[in-house]
Amino acid sequence: MEGEEFYGAAYKGSKQFSQHQVNTANATGFGAATDDYAERGIDLNEQLVRNKPATFFFKMKGDAMQEAGIFDGDTLIVDRSVKLVNGSVIVAILNGELLVRRFHKNFSSAFLIAENNRYKNINLAEFSDFAVWGVVTYVIHSMSV
Amino acid sequence: MKALVDCNNFYCSCERAFQPRLDGQPVIVLSNNDGCIVSRSDEAKLLGIKMADPYFMARSIIEKNRVTVFSSNYNLYGDMSWRVMETLRQVLGKNKVEVYSVDEAFVDLDDFSTATLWTAAHNVKETVEKWTGIKVSVGAAPTRVLAKLANRLSKKDKLKTGCVMVLETEAEIKEALRQTAVEDIWGIGRRYAHKLKEQWGIFDAWQLRSLSEDFARTHLGGVVGVRLIRELKGVISKEMQEELVTKKMIATTRMFGSPVSSIDALKEAVATYASRAAEKLRRQQSAAGVISVFIISRQEKNDVDFRGASYGREITLPYATSFTQELIKAAVSLVEQLYQPGKQYKKAGVILSNIVPDLSVQGNLFFAPAYNCNRKLMEMIDNINFSHRDDVLKFAASGTSRNWKMQRNFISKRYTTRWDELSEVK
Repeated sequence: MEGEEFYGAAYKGSKQFSQHQVNTANATGFGAATDDYAERGIDLNEQLVRNKPATFFFKMKGDAMQEAGIFDGDTLIVDRSVKLVNGSVIVAILNGELLVRRFHKNFSSAFLIAENNRYKNINLAEFSDFAVWGVVTYVIHSMSV
Repeated sequence: MKALVDCNNFYCSCERAFQPRLDGQPVIVLSNNDGCIVSRSDEAKLLGIKMADPYFMARSIIEKNRVTVFSSNYNLYGDMSWRVMETLRQVLGKNKVEVYSVDEAFVDLDDFSTATLWTAAHNVKETVEKWTGIKVSVGAAPTRVLAKLANRLSKKDKLKTGCVMVLETEAEIKEALRQTAVEDIWGIGRRYAHKLKEQWGIFDAWQLRSLSEDFARTHLGGVVGVRLIRELKGVISKEMQEELVTKKMIATTRMFGSPVSSIDALKEAVATYASRAAEKLRRQQSAAGVISVFIISRQEKNDVDFRGASYGREITLPYATSFTQELIKAAVSLVEQLYQPGKQYKKAGVILSNIVPDLSVQGNLFFAPAYNCNRKLMEMIDNINFSHRDDVLKFAASGTSRNWKMQRNFISKRYTTRWDELSEVK
């Protein structure tokens, strides 16, 4: 392994890369035919973090959203710059607490809905201090057992 | 038009962003070592808690009013500051933003017409708040001094201004200048303010502006005073500054968490500061020719006193270096010279000076530094430490116990920079 690769920083930030970071075979014998088609690999930062200054990570505690596929201990990617739409899963501020719920609105009222039968829907008309912290864009769930 | 974007009670706002139950509650943040108050929420200000007051002196007000206290969490504030600045850069363009301090930036609004200026300033404010959760104030005016002044006024009556103030017409500027006392003008220190009021009867910015440039040259610090008068008149005299690229002096100084009396602990502390300073040095690709160390002892009689006897000494290095091991060696030998048994020390610092670019370090005939090997080693250590954080690799001289490390009794989590310290949501 080249020294540079060994001690290079773990993550250099997305969307900034030089031509040298595109890996080629550098074969010493017959030039590798694939080198002409070399591409940069997939960068998760680029895929999952759409707006870096507005993106934050949270840790899910509890089972309120398990039917939406968010389990206890999962990591949430939250983007504050994403527009809130009906049906978004959001991090909400309610009574000074941070809650993950689905936001649902109809003609007359707005609700925070848990994805678990054991939880009641929250009618936002009953609260004065509701605010949206951000919109959940992705969930990271570990499959290790 | 220039605008100053200034985060409201920045450190408190960072803490609140992740603990919304503190909205509307008094909050303060303490300096390193939980010494002094460095940030106050509006509610804390109303209680009469003063900026820079020592924590122990404000303690009774704090406890009586259930003020929430935080130790400074610079990892969090640094990251949030980057987010605010990056938002500004994305909204306005990279070259329109000059970061002035951790919580302030001057931005260039020249692209906006008179009609759209207020909307632009308002949009900037709203976007920063939406993206980062940090509330900001925006003051826009023809010059930076006026922008700073506008920003200050926008914060005075937040309900009325909505934290945005645009000074554009001559009438608006006049009104704002009249409302600003001389001591509140950016660049007027306490001494000048006193002199202006006592000797010449000048109390507000409007009066100050009417002074002639010749008067300013003679009585207000020469060219600096002239520039100030011009800026107040709406003539740009300070341009957007290029980033400070290379520092001419690098210092790392800290107060100890508790007083230190053994020479070994003192050496460990100084070695740690030397490594930190060396890291900063390498980051700007420089090398230092002189290293100095100072240690401050506690005054025996007066425990509360913030000052103490300071002992310092410096060494000119055989050649300019940026290698941690060489700087530690020099620093530790200085500690040996300075240390006096029986004294209790409360603070130490390492200062690197005679800084030269690292690439052009001139060779010395009598020394043959094993240059390339060491440089590779330093690069590896820095990369590993920057990517893994918390000094995974350090020199043994820095010790492993760190009893002298600073006190941070009320520290919050590093919500934005540590995977294992994320904020929990239910």
